Amino acid sequence: MNLALLRHTWRANRLRVGIVTVALAIWGALMPIVFDAFGSQVAEMFESGAFPSQLSQFGGGDLFSLTGAVGIGFVHPIAVGLMLVFAVGFATTAVAGERQRGTLEVLLARPISRRVVYGTLALAGASFVAIAIAGLTFGAWAGATFTGRTAELGVSNLPLLWLNGVLLYCALGAVGLLASVSFDRLSPAISVTLAFVLVSYFLDILGSMWPDAKGLQPFSLFHYVDPKTVLSGFADRGDFVLLAVATAVAVVASLAIFPRRDLAAPS
Amino acid sequence: MTTPAIETIGLTKQYGGLASSVALRGRSRSSGVRALEDLAIDVRQGEIFGFLGPNGAGKSTAIRLLLGFLHPTAGRASVLGFDTVHDSVEIRRRVGYLPGGIAFWDNLTGERLLDELAGLSGRPPVRRSALLDRLELSAATLRRPVRDYSRGMRQKLGIIQALQHDPELAILDEPSEGLDPLMQRAFYGILDELRREGRTIFFSSHVLSEVERVCDRVAIIRLGRLVALEEVPALLARRKRNVEIRLGGPPPALAGVPGVSEVETGDGRLSCRLEGDVGPFLAAIAGSVIHDMTIEPARLEEAFLEFYETDLDAAPPAAAPPSPAKVPA
Repeated sequence: MNLALLRHTWRANRLRVGIVTVALAIWGALMPIVFDAFGSQVAEMFESGAFPSQLSQFGGGDLFSLTGAVGIGFVHPIAVGLMLVFAVGFATTAVAGERQRGTLEVLLARPISRRVVYGTLALAGASFVAIAIAGLTFGAWAGATFTGRTAELGVSNLPLLWLNGVLLYCALGAVGLLASVSFDRLSPAISVTLAFVLVSYFLDILGSMWPDAKGLQPFSLFHYVDPKTVLSGFADRGDFVLLAVATAVAVVASLAIFPRRDLAAPS
Repeated sequence: MTTPAIETIGLTKQYGGLASSVALRGRSRSSGVRALEDLAIDVRQGEIFGFLGPNGAGKSTAIRLLLGFLHPTAGRASVLGFDTVHDSVEIRRRVGYLPGGIAFWDNLTGERLLDELAGLSGRPPVRRSALLDRLELSAATLRRPVRDYSRGMRQKLGIIQALQHDPELAILDEPSEGLDPLMQRAFYGILDELRREGRTIFFSSHVLSEVERVCDRVAIIRLGRLVALEEVPALLARRKRNVEIRLGGPPPALAGVPGVSEVETGDGRLSCRLEGDVGPFLAAIAGSVIHDMTIEPARLEEAFLEFYETDLDAAPPAAAPPSPAKVPA
């Protein structure tokens, strides 16, 4: 790791990290508040058959309990979209974007090995994810506290929920960085990463709402994030291990590819 | 014997092909683009070395190989005694690099950018203030974001970031591009100063006049092949000068005079080409009535063009260039 590069990366992204974290905290706080205000009405609507029951299982969450509502908040497209600022945005621009702009040239002219450059960028990305997920988790706690439902949340399990989210987005970010070190231009790096994330997300959501597609869920990284179960105190350790292994595989592949790549002059 | 600042032996770079594997199978056909072929140069410590060639000749490829951005297809290179493949970090610790068409993190101010780049270099910017003075970049300018800088100001910033930590070797790709004539002169002054202090400069350019002005030796590269490597004065000494004489009487007999060629007379004028020692020529015209005479000095441009005007297919590979070039020096 290179401290000067870490500082530079942090300075360049601190505003983005701040905005996304605050947005996620607000979003996280909204879910308990929405549940508190409309949970019983929504439950009645589903029980009346006005909506297909599968819709109540969106992403493994539900609207019939606080933990279920927080779970929906974690896997909702708004939260996922905000987190993709780092998992796709930062990760893909970190190398391919800098290379396309020509600024990677200036960085690599310094006495820093490519492995150290990668390691520092990966660490910076992981710290952004950790802070942003902390914002989301904090928001959920703040919302529950605001509505006086803290006891229903399983506060002692919040750190585990944070870890589960961090591992998911670190895995996605590692895939983004792998694409970033593999391409000379930004657009293919973004396209490949975004395709991976969207397909992964689609498989999980489809499996959660359509029993016949349940078999597809294990192929999605999102399947290994289960906020409701984690908050209920029944976290599956295997989910955490699998996300960590996925991250490690992408990191090892990046460390094998990046130092061996030819970096021709930017066109 | 001192270690050369830069030494390349048979350095070859091919893009996008399977040259190595094809060669291993004993086939002569190779695919891909050969950007550099059998480059053999040595740059002495303390000299300013010019690396000349038009766009696409392979200059930037050679520089990127020296810095470890590219991996050679064949051959090897060392910089300050370090292997470019295995010790590229050590090389970059000792080298200052100005890329061609440099790009910066535009949202930073000039001052912050220089600070961050010095921090990444891990060496204090001991030369910065002197360079800022010489290149006339004021403190007020440095407080502005780089995105507001003109092309010339960016180039100045590029030169400063490459030299601010007082590197043993500076590798400069088209360094005077975008500088106005006054700043070019200031830049040449900086190079002279660095040379006096024993620093080595490797300098790629297609501006022949500046190479002629500042470089001790020059390598000329064409389509990835080295076609000449020589001391600049020696190269110039062999260039033919154009002579124009306005006569007040019959023309002198120049046939057979050593170094004189392409003699043309008529209308009270004589023109010819003069190469090497001027003594025999002056002796031959001594008895003539001359109203005016102009001897155009030899320019590196002519030497350069000579290497480029001949048919490439007729040119031998870089390892064995035609006389008068001597490779390696």
